[in-house]
Amino acid sequence: MHRLIQLACCLGLAVGVSLAGPAMGQNLLGGGDLLSGGDSGGDLLSGDRSGGSDDGALGGGLLGSDQSAGGDSALGGGLLGGDEPKQDGLFTFGGNEPEKAEDEDAQKQANAAHEELFSEARYPSANACAACHPKQYREWSVSQHAYAQISPVYLSMQMTINALTSATNGDFCIRCHNQVGMNMGESIYTSNLDRHPTSREGITCVVCHRLNRNYGKVSGRFGLVEGDIYDKVYGPSGNEELERVLKDPKYVVTAERDKPGRAVHAEAEEFFALVTPGFCGSCHDVTLLNGFRLEEAFAEFKRTDAAAEGTTCQDCHMGKVQGIAAGYDRGPAAVVGGVPTADRRVTNHYFAGPDYPIVHPGIFPHNVQAAELKTLREWLEFRYDEGWGTDEFEDNIPPGYEFPDSWQYIDDRYDARAILDEQFDRLEWARGLRQEVLENALQFGGFTAERESGGDLAFSIQVNNATNGHGVPTGFDAERLMFLEVTVTDADGKVVFVSGDRDPNGDVRDTHSLYVHNHELEEDAYLFNLQTRFMLRMNRGGEREQVLPINRSLGPLPFVRPETRPTAIYGRPRSARKHKQTIDPLGHRIAEYRVEAGKLGASFPLKVQFRFIAQMVPVNLIAAIQSVGFDYGMSAKEIADNVVDGAHTVFAHTFEVDENGRFKEVENTNVASAR
Amino acid sequence: MSIERVARKGGAGWSAVVSATAVFGLAAMIGTAIPETVYAASELSDEPVPLAKEEDLPQRTPPIIEIGPAFLGNGNLPKGWVLPTGAVWQPAFWVFGSSRTAYNFVENRGAGQDLSEVATRLDLFGNLQLSGTERLLIGISPLRSSGSFTNYQFSPGAGDGFNDHISFELTTAFFEGEFGELFPNLDPEDKGSYDVSFAIGRQPLFFQEGALINDTIDSLGINRDTIIIPNQVIDWRMTGVIGVNDIHRADRRRHHGDVLIGWFNELNFRGPTVNVDAIVVATQDSPGAYAGVSMVQRFGHLNFAARLNGSMAIDDESPAVEDGLFGLVELSTTLPYGENLLYGNFFGVAGDFSPAALDPSAGSPLGRAGILFASPLLGRYGAALSGTTSDTLGGAIGLQMFFNNARTQLILEAGGRYEGDETIGSAAAVGAQVRQAIGRRVEIRGDAFYTVQEGRGGDGVGARAEIAINF
Repeated sequence: MHRLIQLACCLGLAVGVSLAGPAMGQNLLGGGDLLSGGDSGGDLLSGDRSGGSDDGALGGGLLGSDQSAGGDSALGGGLLGGDEPKQDGLFTFGGNEPEKAEDEDAQKQANAAHEELFSEARYPSANACAACHPKQYREWSVSQHAYAQISPVYLSMQMTINALTSATNGDFCIRCHNQVGMNMGESIYTSNLDRHPTSREGITCVVCHRLNRNYGKVSGRFGLVEGDIYDKVYGPSGNEELERVLKDPKYVVTAERDKPGRAVHAEAEEFFALVTPGFCGSCHDVTLLNGFRLEEAFAEFKRTDAAAEGTTCQDCHMGKVQGIAAGYDRGPAAVVGGVPTADRRVTNHYFAGPDYPIVHPGIFPHNVQAAELKTLREWLEFRYDEGWGTDEFEDNIPPGYEFPDSWQYIDDRYDARAILDEQFDRLEWARGLRQEVLENALQFGGFTAERESGGDLAFSIQVNNATNGHGVPTGFDAERLMFLEVTVTDADGKVVFVSGDRDPNGDVRDTHSLYVHNHELEEDAYLFNLQTRFMLRMNRGGEREQVLPINRSLGPLPFVRPETRPTAIYGRPRSARKHKQTIDPLGHRIAEYRVEAGKLGASFPLKVQFRFIAQMVPVNLIAAIQSVGFDYGMSAKEIADNVVDGAHTVFAHTFEVDENGRFKEVENTNVASAR
Repeated sequence: MSIERVARKGGAGWSAVVSATAVFGLAAMIGTAIPETVYAASELSDEPVPLAKEEDLPQRTPPIIEIGPAFLGNGNLPKGWVLPTGAVWQPAFWVFGSSRTAYNFVENRGAGQDLSEVATRLDLFGNLQLSGTERLLIGISPLRSSGSFTNYQFSPGAGDGFNDHISFELTTAFFEGEFGELFPNLDPEDKGSYDVSFAIGRQPLFFQEGALINDTIDSLGINRDTIIIPNQVIDWRMTGVIGVNDIHRADRRRHHGDVLIGWFNELNFRGPTVNVDAIVVATQDSPGAYAGVSMVQRFGHLNFAARLNGSMAIDDESPAVEDGLFGLVELSTTLPYGENLLYGNFFGVAGDFSPAALDPSAGSPLGRAGILFASPLLGRYGAALSGTTSDTLGGAIGLQMFFNNARTQLILEAGGRYEGDETIGSAAAVGAQVRQAIGRRVEIRGDAFYTVQEGRGGDGVGARAEIAINF
């Protein structure tokens, strides 16, 4: 209601009219009208186009940044971000200026409230869904889907790609990561600190449950159905249970905007495609408009026995066990005012995968209470690692210790600590499921060793893909670092061989390591790494690997345009391709190593220790995108360290090898962390 | 508008470009706000770098015409139409392309044939995107016809004056898609494997880096991607092509009635990527068989590619097809602390190698060996070294350098070819190419070469300057 009043004031309407509240809301925000935007792209809410932009696609909007002094934020600060730098008044002259500034602030706040209302009318936040679907919200809140837009690595990567391609890559990356933000016309460049809260939710509830058409392999470029919380949603089941709930007074719900009660959607329409693999494939087969097949998870799946047998993506990634089709849990789809709805099949909305968050726990996982307590910028100032909000810290604050303005009050710090405790619980839960899906995909397949006639030690390690649904890694396999770390020590503890070790940045020693690239370290000739490679055709000189698939050798102006050749025939543009290194479904790869006799010495038995490590991205990617900076004030080094810290050890084993090459396993360590 | 802002918006705003003609403005336009820091130092910095701001980064550079949803632009996307097959189409039409204009100068002292001309070409494409996999592409090259470009000749005796080569022939017109996406109702549960893609119409075909086919042919292509050979090949792309019209044979003539049948494969092994291709051109007067195999692999810091292609006349040899083998090895390495590329490419031809199909304006298969063997594909400015593929050995070594975040590029190259036929005479050349991006759409380029050829009694020099605009 408060926001409605602000909205009414903003529109110059009488307070009396605004107090009509619901009725007005229905008329103004009901969708399909002037303010709800349309399919044309001429979006009233687009604020990313600065004045004078000559692109002309969308133009400035009613709430556009051209109205604000800074002009760098789609939505400005105020209520949404709360992070607008304050005027310090040093350069303010004239008696009316403070008043004018207040007016501007009020205008910004009104605009922000206006915007939030519009977006809620078009794309409800997950926070709204959380009220009745707490289980689903909790699972989603810590998921990769929820992290899709928050990720500073992704954000800088897509900005770098656009910086290097005259922005011809446009919203290609961010469209999948941030459907709501793109539909609202947000800039592709804006910091997450300045984005609309629902935009920051990434693949939020409405991205799947406000879709009613089976778009096929469109790389995430589909038309969301707009509507507020009362409008129809689309799900795997029909409307029967919802109808019962709507009729049952104990739930105290209403699907009518002008009636009291908990707001719920009026209808849940069955959308069959939602439970099919093709629905996942509309985002998880990513082909650029120039024909570059960036991700092929769905294409790989279509080649498998799993597909032929009718096992779906959802069976393995939304069921009881992550990575195995082990059935689904049963339970209520919703809990309304503490009253559960009827039991049915319920799915896990965490969708475990190889990504993990590396940002401040105050801003991820998504948390309704965290958002209510402080803004993102304020959360970034909360030094949880120093113990803020714990008795140990608060009872022993050193003299002169300074807190930022937003954390001056001890109550706030205790509240924040309580929220973070829950955040850490969620992150730990998520880590466990991530470990589960990795262990169900990548497994140790065997070890062999042999002492050759010349005295060299040859040994091998087999890595299996235990899934029959796709290769591993899959999807964004060109940026998945999955490798074997191998160390051989003699009986005296002296290291005689190593592979899969890291350079000072945390990279493995492949040619993408900055140290190896610059010839300061030798390449790891035995590195076993399942990371796919981007191959770019050079102007002359064949092809070379690059971290980013932007071909600058063919010309100084890389341009993304539809390919002028038939991509159906080639499966790629002429300038770039992928060289997959992944393991095929139920397949295996064997890592082979050789230690020269001269390095072995005479101190046997040898100990061969190895572990398979899954890291969401290689550090060299961070180096390749660092030029545009990173969100949240993070440095390249900090991001790299966090990425390395978050890596998982999928399996670990130790074998002893005697002087004749006979071997036995002495340790089998499957640990939950590679820290 | 600040100079920096002009730089970022330069390509699209001509008024802004004009207002930035000052030296400092030009300096800003050729650069970027984003510094080149990737390989400058090996150690990652622990100094936070704020996220670049909107005004530091380029705005979207759209195609010249957008009807329907913008090309990769933000804003709402349409819900589209549902076809009876179950497919959902969201039509969008985009027109894009490029314009190139160059002044070409060549003084061929041996042959006594000099060149001084301005030549231009315009390539326009209209892309009707229907879905993620289906589209219709049409293209015209209105200032080019039969391999000749609209030009103005300054040299006497070479058709001096204005020569128009205007043509509105469709240079490209094909539809491509995927069966499974066109008919999703055939397999609503995604159990089957109908994801077979196809392209039909007048389409550019390019195989074995242009050595086997580099032509636009009326054809049907069917492709199966992501084929798996357990434990060996994770990704095998297999394509079959039938071409029925518009095939330019090695004699650079359009052969009506010839039929081209090809089978093309690309296999990703763990180490190398291997291409294996085979073609038959069926015709009454000069049928031919062709095959090519290539391997691309990295060995540490060394990039390696080897290609071997062969042609064989099924009946008698003719200018359209002759017997021959063509091998090309490409080597390169990236130099430390940057992306500069040192390369060396070497070839050998035994007999008279003939491509199965070669567009008259497409240049020689030897073009991959070096810029000295490549035509700029604009005007009568040919390659510094002959592209003839008959009994020869040769190669080129060069260095491609990147400056200014790769917006300024320089290639220096030296090359030569030894002729088995003494009547032709071996030749050697040095050359350079410089390219500079300006704003978001414009590129200027300069080329120069100096050639010496045995038995021709003189040297040859050439230079050219070009401006290209991308739409």
